[in-house]
Parts: sequence; C-alpha cells; structure tokens
Amino acid sequence: MPRLLRLLRSPRLALAALAWLGGYAAAGAWLPWSLPGGGAPPGWAVAAGLDHPFTTWTFLGAVALLFASTLACTWGKRARVAALLRGELPGTAATLPYRAGSDVTAFLRASGFRGDGPVLRRLPAALWGGWLFHVGLLVLIAAIAVQQSFHDGATLQLTEGEVARLDDPGAVFGRDRGPLAPAQPPPLTVSLLSFDPFAHQPGYAPDRLSTLRLERRGGASVEGTVDRARGLRLGGVKVFQAIPVGLAVDLALPDGSIRSVHLATVGAREAAADVRDLSGLPVRLLAETERPLDDAGGTGRVELALLAGDRRYPILPGSPFGFGGGEARVAAVRRWGAFTYSHSPGMSGVFLGFALLLAGSALLALPAGVARLEPGGAARVAGRGTAALLADWAAAGRDA
Amino acid sequence: MQSVLFWSAVTAYALATVAFFTAVASRSGRGTGSGAALLALGLVPHAAAIGLRWIEVGHGPYQTRYEVLSADAFLLVGAYLVTALAARHLRLLGAAVAPVAFLGMGLAVATFALKAEVPIIFKSWWLVLHIGFAKLFAATAVLAAASAAAYLAKSRRPGSLPRLPSPERLELAAHQFLLVSFLFLGVMIVAGSLWANESWGRYWGWDPMETSSLVTWLAFAVVLHFRVLHGWRGPRMAYLTFVALAFAVSTAYLVATIVPTIHNSYMVGR
Repeated sequence: MPRLLRLLRSPRLALAALAWLGGYAAAGAWLPWSLPGGGAPPGWAVAAGLDHPFTTWTFLGAVALLFASTLACTWGKRARVAALLRGELPGTAATLPYRAGSDVTAFLRASGFRGDGPVLRRLPAALWGGWLFHVGLLVLIAAIAVQQSFHDGATLQLTEGEVARLDDPGAVFGRDRGPLAPAQPPPLTVSLLSFDPFAHQPGYAPDRLSTLRLERRGGASVEGTVDRARGLRLGGVKVFQAIPVGLAVDLALPDGSIRSVHLATVGAREAAADVRDLSGLPVRLLAETERPLDDAGGTGRVELALLAGDRRYPILPGSPFGFGGGEARVAAVRRWGAFTYSHSPGMSGVFLGFALLLAGSALLALPAGVARLEPGGAARVAGRGTAALLADWAAAGRDA
Repeated sequence: MQSVLFWSAVTAYALATVAFFTAVASRSGRGTGSGAALLALGLVPHAAAIGLRWIEVGHGPYQTRYEVLSADAFLLVGAYLVTALAARHLRLLGAAVAPVAFLGMGLAVATFALKAEVPIIFKSWWLVLHIGFAKLFAATAVLAAASAAAYLAKSRRPGSLPRLPSPERLELAAHQFLLVSFLFLGVMIVAGSLWANESWGRYWGWDPMETSSLVTWLAFAVVLHFRVLHGWRGPRMAYLTFVALAFAVSTAYLVATIVPTIHNSYMVGR
C-alpha cells in the first residue's frame, strides 16, 4: 500500500482531523466578534483571516483532510464487508472455544445468529452501517462544497405595491455568493402585494406577514404568502421574509412617478434616509414619531422634515415642498419590509449525504456479526458485540 | 388541574428514586421492579400535564424552562421504559434515570406560571423534529452514561447487583446508547438546518448553538472512533462516555443560557 494511502487511512489521522475541526469550530464560534452583536474584529484577527474563521484555509484544509481520510478509509471497505458476509473472518475474530456439554450452534442461534451451513449471521444488513456512514460523509462534504461554490443570496427592501428586479443595479445589498455563482443576481421580479409587520397568527407572537409575487423574466410566476416560517420558491430561487422593517416615505415627483424612500431607524422614535434630491444634491429625510417605531399599535403622529446642509425644512402632509429644482409631495408614509433571496444548487446532494449518514448511524447501533462454526465444536465470531457474546458464552459454561 | 398532575408525576419520580436507591444500597437489586413501575405510573399524569399545557398555550413544550425541562424529563423516562421493556436486564439503569427526572422537574417548576406566545418561526414541522430529536438525544446520552456508570460499578464488584448483566453487556449497552444518541443528534442537526433555512434563509450560520451541536457531534464521533478503530474498552471508554454526556448537557442546556444566540427563545425564564 502506498505510504500516502497508509497515512490517510491511519485512525490517528482521522481522530486528529475530527478533533481539530471540533476544537477549531468551538473556538471560532466563541470568538467575541463571532457572537451575535459582537462588534468588529480587531486588526490582528483580520490580518490572520480570523474575521471569518470558517472560510480560512486552516479550516477548509482540515475539512479537505477529513474528506481524504474518509475516502481512504472507505476505499476497500465494501470488499471487506462482503468478504465478512461470505464468512471470511479477519484475524481479529474472537473464538468461542469448544466446551463439553454445550452446543455452540444452539448458543449462537439463541443469540440471534441465523443461517444454514458453517456460516451464521446476525443482522447482516447492519454490517453495511460503517460503509454507508462513510459514503454519506463523503457525499455530504462534496455536496456542501458544491452548494457553497454556487450559493447566491442577498437582501432587498420593499414597500407594499413596490416591485424590484433583483438584477437591477442597487436592487439588492449584502450579497453573499460563492466563487462559481453567476455575477448577476437571478433574473427575478419580486412584487410586494401586501405587508403587515405585526400580523397576529393564532398561537404565535405578532410578526411580519407578506404576500409576494415572483416572476421569472419571460417565464413562470408564482404568488403566495410568506412569513418568517416559510418562503416562496420559483425556479430554484427562494424568497424569505427577513426581520428588519422600517418606515418608508412615498414621494410623488413632478413627473407623476412615485419614489419610495426607505428610512433606517436611528433612534427609538426617529428614522432617517440620506438621498439625493432632483438636482442630485445630498439631503436627509427625517421622520420623528409620537410612539416607538416598533410599536405594534402604530407609531402615532409622524413629523417629517428635510435636512439640507444645516437647514431643516418641515414637510406637511399633502403639501408640496422644494426637492432640488422641483416640488415633491408626500403621497404616503408606510413601512418597508426586508426580504432575502437564496439560490442553493447542490442541496439535493446534501440531503442525500445526510440520509446515508443517518442510515449508517442507525445500522451501526445494531449488534451485527458473523460466526463461523469450526470443526471440533468451536466457533469464530466477528462483528459488533463480540465481547458481550464471549462473556455470555463463558457465563453459560459456568451455569452449566 | 395541571399542577396536580405535575406534582403527582414529581411524587412518583421521587418515590421511584427512593426505590432504586434502596435497590442499589441493598446490593441485591430488590426494589428495581417497584422503581420501574413507579416511573411508569408517574409518566401518565406527566403526559396529561404536558398535554394540558400544550392545549392551553397552543404550542408544544419548547419555550419556557418549565416546558423544556418537563418534556425532557418525560422523554427520558419514556426512553428508559422502552429500554426496560426491550431489555429487562437494564431496568436498574432507573437508578440514574429517576433522580435525573426528579431533579429536572424540580428545576422546571420555578417557571411553571410563565406562559408566552412563541415566535412565528416556531410554526414549522422541521422544528417539531428538531426539538423532538434534541430531547431524545439528551435522553439517550443520559442512558449511555448510566450504562457506563453501571459498567464501572459492576466491573469493580462483579458479585454485586446481580440484577445487572455482565460488565461486557453493560459496556455494549453504553456503546449502543451512544450510537443512538449520535444518530438522534444528527437528525436534530439536519432538521434544525432545514428549519433555519425556512426561518432565516440560510441552512447554517455558525450560531453558538449550531456550532455547539456540531462540536458535540464531532466529539461523539471521536469517542466512537476510539472504541471502533483503536479498540478502547473498559473504564477509559466509560469515562469517555461521561465526557460525551458533558458535551451533550452543554449543548442542550448551557449554551443557550450563557451566550447570546438565535436560540434565546428557548428555555425562556432561565
């Protein structure tokens, strides 16, 4: 056997890879900046690549090593199990010695072994548990690699009646995509038909509830309700309700169009957005509310103002106000909701890997084994639970 | 009514603890049957108490500390009784199960009056699987450790506790419970990952609880490797089973109580 293969098949290497991954994952998840709301990582952590501990080469290399070790361990395992099932027992098999007055065949049958001839088997299908487990682990790691390479996701914000084309410039933000994912977001149009940030579904605390319409350009469309417990899927892309919500001010512009400005929360009763007016100058739209912004009963009175430089211009409901070379009017004050889209090719492989892994785990718990009756009344046994079987045989001898 | 049923179950578990401790102290194992019967008897009002709370709050037992720990104790006793029916020689494991169930109920009762609506993300069948298997994972980890403890006791004094099987059988039982626990933990992680995707649009986010589950799964894999590949047997394998239990307890109970995590709507009232 080549030296490299021997090294990869070494149980010590498998253990080392598992222990390293476990220790690294524990440390990585407990780094202060990895915890929710943990703040920015320090400079040394960024320099060491520890700002995202689970995409470092240290971590990915250990996963690759675990994959290689599992592959090497699985190689030839099928033939070994098949040989065991044929009754070709390994040198490590235990012996139930001949004992006058005791029938080893009857003992083995009473212990669950079945079969005709010199080879008896107990739960033979379960002998495949280890092989199945290892194959499942290989499929899982490979499928996760595919999924991570092609994964694509980002966030978007919509107000009721608003439509967003995901691949329009600036339509989505916070995009996270794998190295092999398309450069552009999917060609999908998302329309928010209705939005209630505090919908009360029986038995559950008030939360967001939206009706969305998804349309693939020049193709199929789908319409449905989403909350934070279920999304809406079209052609491999799934759109989910995200947590953030905020105030949106719909501005009626001189050309008759409506521009929805999404304000970010800057205080318990204050939201603002930095935008450019019709002349392209930066201005700030400010909203101050009577009650907290996240009050399920509503915000109460809303006062709007436009901040340009160090001057503040109050905006009165329905009245036109100067907006850089033209007049605009507040058409409505509503709420925007955040949504995420996610495209994850390779997930069917991940599920298959998990299914094999779990099936293997289940089979491994069963005391499968093979016994071979030897001339002279003894038997050799291999498989799981052999030590207990030997103890039972010895105890049966004492009782006899 | 709920509280009467709850306290009936607590009383039965307390009496079962006394019966099992008597069985162990007498070295003869007498009292094992009574202990198992008392645990079975306690399970009936316990099920009714959980059911009534479910109907009252409109969701399963997975939010407040009372709901979580009471249901965990229920499944632990249930798993023990299934084991005792399938393998009568393991009935004395109740000596570990009964006090753990009793203590769990004691820790639960402090938040008995706390009732709250659950977040909308709990509206998922994946969550039912996720939580159900989390509880089964913890229960089987306790049974594995109980078997390992019984192994240590029996291997040091082979003549004592005649109602326990041979040390080799107990060691095999510990290994099998650990494997089943490993399987349940795997199902819990998979179901949780699918639930996370429905709730947050991502399967995995390296949240402290998610990571702790993965680390525990890896720790179990290491422990199982020591037995399967390195042939570890005997006391050191029993101690490793206790280490596995420590990982399981940390994941199931400690992490959510000490670290900010997306799982903070679990064990409310801690």
